[in-house]
Amino acid sequence: MIYSEKISIFTHKSAELINMTAEIESIVAKSCISNGVAFVISQHTTTGLVINEPLECVEQDIVNTLAKLIPDDDAYIHAHFLPSYGATSNNSPGHLKSTMLGNSVTFSVSDSKLEKGSAQDVYLAECDGPQSRQIIVKIMGE
Amino acid sequence: MTTDVHMHPIYFDVISSDDSKVKFREEKFGIHKQSPYPMEEILYEMDYAKIDKSILLPLDLTTIEGGEVVSNEEIKKIVAEVPERFIGFGSVDPSREDAIDQLLYIFDDLKLSGLNLHPGKQLFYPNESKMKKIYSICQEKNKPIMFHAGLSWEPQSYIKYGQPIHFEEIAIEYPDLRICLSHFCWPWIKETIMLLIKYPNVYTDTSMLYLNSFEDFFRELFTKEIDQLTIERNFPKQILFGSNTPRFRAFKMKQAIEKFIVKEDVRENLFSLNAEEFLYGKKGKQ
Repeated sequence: MIYSEKISIFTHKSAELINMTAEIESIVAKSCISNGVAFVISQHTTTGLVINEPLECVEQDIVNTLAKLIPDDDAYIHAHFLPSYGATSNNSPGHLKSTMLGNSVTFSVSDSKLEKGSAQDVYLAECDGPQSRQIIVKIMGE
Repeated sequence: MTTDVHMHPIYFDVISSDDSKVKFREEKFGIHKQSPYPMEEILYEMDYAKIDKSILLPLDLTTIEGGEVVSNEEIKKIVAEVPERFIGFGSVDPSREDAIDQLLYIFDDLKLSGLNLHPGKQLFYPNESKMKKIYSICQEKNKPIMFHAGLSWEPQSYIKYGQPIHFEEIAIEYPDLRICLSHFCWPWIKETIMLLIKYPNVYTDTSMLYLNSFEDFFRELFTKEIDQLTIERNFPKQILFGSNTPRFRAFKMKQAIEKFIVKEDVRENLFSLNAEEFLYGKKGKQ
């Protein structure tokens, strides 16, 4: 059996971490799948999906370190007018952070719950906000 | 108080329920790969940029393309919904037989605050004689004109109509008419400066980013082409903040400009006071 839902999120900063764990757990609980695998997948190229500990200091360190590794004002090539968009690009830091973070996370599902470690939560990493974002939660199992 | 004088409400969802209309806008305006967004998100993005008000620009292409990118009625509808955040301009295709009637309708019935014209896309030279009646009415009614000037990105538009020198006759013949030659007439920046020096009724705006990053582009503009001391000495009242949303994200443009325009009074003029004067004249809002 496969169960799928889409989560819509409007992010509020240019870079931030948004804890999505409760929403994903609720989707898993109502999926009627007790054993299987849950995939959480971003539909974007300037976001990331990461698993980490839900502590404010850890969240801040992740955001700050990404900003240090990939500064906003480096000499990126993707900083020009894009004819195919009729708009300017100028969001290379978002693309690069997204590449580093990856666009999906996977969990085992057992007894209709995410089988996650005690320190594990799921975060959407916004790398080019504020924007509307769509995240797919797909659960496969029985 | 910050005013963005250059916003195209192409993707406002309150006027985007018809998919074919959105497609028409995208094709004629030359913008792609974006989707309509709700008012809540539009206002949030303005708040995030610390922009209090935005001037909304429609575009009438009736004789050229058989329709309007955004209509005057759509502008009126948005402004009626959030009057504290938006200022509506109207647009008239000057080649319409009923152009003058339309102009009077925009000002007298819809009560819009100014006129938006796009010579490159509406296919006219700003100094053509057929335009004179339009300019006279705008001057008489104290309504400013926002002209698209410089590079025209839209498909089937002609850059030749947007050269700054074609606007000189208007500046001379209608000294009480305030005209903004938007986009700094890029790439004709020196010619634009020439007109600003001579004609106090000529304005320009910052809505341009055709090369490089925001920071690279505005560093070049505000340190080499026209630095803030030059602005302070010569054009304190004539440069307006415009973002050209949705082509460019307003908060990124504003942040880049703020890196190079650091003097408080120059900033206050550029982001706030000059827009008031452009809109309402020296006497202020009546």
